[in-house]
Amino acid sequence: MTKQWQTIFKKETLAFFEGMQAWVILSAYIVLSMFITFFIGGFFSLNNAGLFSYFYFQPYILAFIIPAVTMRLWSEERKTGTLEFLLTQPIPLLSIVLGKFLSSWFMCLCMFLLSTPLWLGLNLDFEADNLNILSGYIGIILVAGSFCALGCLISSFCSSPAVSYLLSLGILLFFCMADFTSAFQKLHFSPIVENKLSSMLNLEYHYQDIITGQIGTDNIVFFVLIIILSLGLNTLSIEYKRN
Amino acid sequence: MVEQNKERNKMIVAKNLCKNYGRIQAVNNVNFCISKGEIVSLLGPNGAGKTTLMRLLTGYAEPTSGEVSIFGQNLKTQRLSCLKKIGYVPETGFLYPDMSVADFLRYTADLRGISGAEFVENFRNVVENLELKSVINQKIETLSKGFKRRTGIAAALIHNPEVLILDEPTEGLDPNQKFSLRSYLKSYGQDKIIIISTHIMEEVEAMAGRVILLNHGKLVKDTSPQELKELFPEHDIETAFYKITSEVE
Repeated sequence: MTKQWQTIFKKETLAFFEGMQAWVILSAYIVLSMFITFFIGGFFSLNNAGLFSYFYFQPYILAFIIPAVTMRLWSEERKTGTLEFLLTQPIPLLSIVLGKFLSSWFMCLCMFLLSTPLWLGLNLDFEADNLNILSGYIGIILVAGSFCALGCLISSFCSSPAVSYLLSLGILLFFCMADFTSAFQKLHFSPIVENKLSSMLNLEYHYQDIITGQIGTDNIVFFVLIIILSLGLNTLSIEYKRN
Repeated sequence: MVEQNKERNKMIVAKNLCKNYGRIQAVNNVNFCISKGEIVSLLGPNGAGKTTLMRLLTGYAEPTSGEVSIFGQNLKTQRLSCLKKIGYVPETGFLYPDMSVADFLRYTADLRGISGAEFVENFRNVVENLELKSVINQKIETLSKGFKRRTGIAAALIHNPEVLILDEPTEGLDPNQKFSLRSYLKSYGQDKIIIISTHIMEEVEAMAGRVILLNHGKLVKDTSPQELKELFPEHDIETAFYKITSEVE
């Protein structure tokens, strides 16, 4: 299984970089991120020792960028008919799912690598809170992982990459903004339970904890659970289609 | 003892195989055994269930009921082990257009865990036998239909499978290419199993030693091309095919 997910990972990563896709996505990400960090995030007006103006808007930026990374992973296999080739090879389905997911996550790591000069620059000119910045990077890596897993899952439902992009964008934006407080209020739980449940399911709550340096096990578990659940459903969805 | 050997030689066994898509019965209670050294042609009009049957034999689709065993292993419970023995070329869309022929063969070999000297030898064999040398570094999207077809067959043969399943293998090939591919497959099939789905009667006569005729998902004849011809001695195999399939209708 080890070798096989690596084969899928390598093939998908090469496919990103051999075409224009990777370069367009990397450029779009860095331009968008820097524009928002400097002009909307108020890079110079905030106390930015923890690169807060960069990290704050990342889930929204990633909600636009990651669907472009994941949209073709499964939908193109379905569209071109190569899914039949792939599923008749002697490889566990989970290896294929894992290889595709990890290649999209790796693409996100390349995107984040492009922002590290900002971190280095901050260290040269100002007093940077490096631990906080490290925590921020862990935060965006986890958000990217969960968005990639959700994107792969949505791509497995679609036979057109464009539909996959739009559907993923909608779902990821909903995921960024969803606040379940009013839904729990209707269920008449006690205010403490209500508060606890709505914050447990709120991406912003977990993400804010991480980028402000208050990273906890519950935050990590939240994102890891989304990844595991999405990959599990992705495997089931392909298995279902096969049958 | 003889019976035991006979059983062992039955490399592919399909038992009460059924596949439904909603209310449509694509394959309806099909039974057959195929032994080593047989080249079997799946014949039938459009919609007879040939492609579905091939998908059931390659594990791409799961049967609604019944079972397939390959070399005594159940395809459902020992899927990966069975798939290692099968090479499969579907009718359309099984190639990655952005890859070169060499990259595609390497990718298929990697997925199948073929590497080192074994890969080099198998790669050399398939490239030579399927005459792919001139296009080996060319992107698949730029190839003619015939070369695409041969690239697919080369990928299916890269692990030297015991069972080769081909859906319309000579479609898009010119007469010379058809002739050389048939000759190659005939020699390959001497100690393996080859299952070919085709509409071309000349191909059945030239290659297959056995014909499985399907109509409306049912197996209507399991015979040799010669016997099929003798059913209607005054006519050719094409007429025999027409008469049998229209009789059942």
